[in-house]
Amino acid sequence: MFAQLARRAVRPAATAAARRQFADAAPAAGLMKLNFNLPQETLYDAVNVKSVVVPGATGEYEVTADHVPIVAEMKAGMLTINHEDGEEEKYFVAGGFSLTHEGSTTDIVCPEAVKLDDIDAAAVTKNFEAAKAKAASAEAGSIEAAEAMIEVETNKAMGNALGLAMA
Amino acid sequence: MTTPTTFWRLAGVSYVQYVTKATSCLRAALKEPAKSKAMTQETFSYNKSVWSNGEQGAKKLTDSLAAVGK
Repeated sequence: MFAQLARRAVRPAATAAARRQFADAAPAAGLMKLNFNLPQETLYDAVNVKSVVVPGATGEYEVTADHVPIVAEMKAGMLTINHEDGEEEKYFVAGGFSLTHEGSTTDIVCPEAVKLDDIDAAAVTKNFEAAKAKAASAEAGSIEAAEAMIEVETNKAMGNALGLAMA
Repeated sequence: MTTPTTFWRLAGVSYVQYVTKATSCLRAALKEPAKSKAMTQETFSYNKSVWSNGEQGAKKLTDSLAAVGK
């Protein structure tokens, strides 16, 4: 009788395990899978990395393997990818979203991501000053004021990323 | 709808418009050759065609939506 009970207990677990095989392969132990996409190109497609530092709108955070699922809006700032071989790769993103799923997979989507070397410091300072002037002269609460504030914020973030003193 | 909390939402700017504006700021501050490559993402144009008797007329490249109605 006990043998019968044992057999019935084992069978459901075996079929459940067989059903779960349709899921994606989990990333290697200690690593997380990164999908980093722009509308115009795919930067990383299912690549195993050690961690990603995401510039969340409510705070910067680092995603490692087995991170709790989280959906975050990104603000303009630096995104750092820590690769398997210890190499650190940084991108400046203008905005976008980072979605971390169960099973150590993170999807990062943003309209544009550039390397710091491609940003012109002189242009950033010039645009920042111009945007500040526009924000000061625009009517409070208008769309022009909001657009000027967006320019101020983005150029400020770029300046900070480059190490310039932005006031 | 919940009360808007961001300055752009309060001014009547949607998230898509906000992130698009931030992205064009980023692109405007790039160095060549990255800048030219990035600026291709910003170019867009409209085609205008007039329908008559259920038939679509020839498509013509238009500069702005404002000119379409004329």
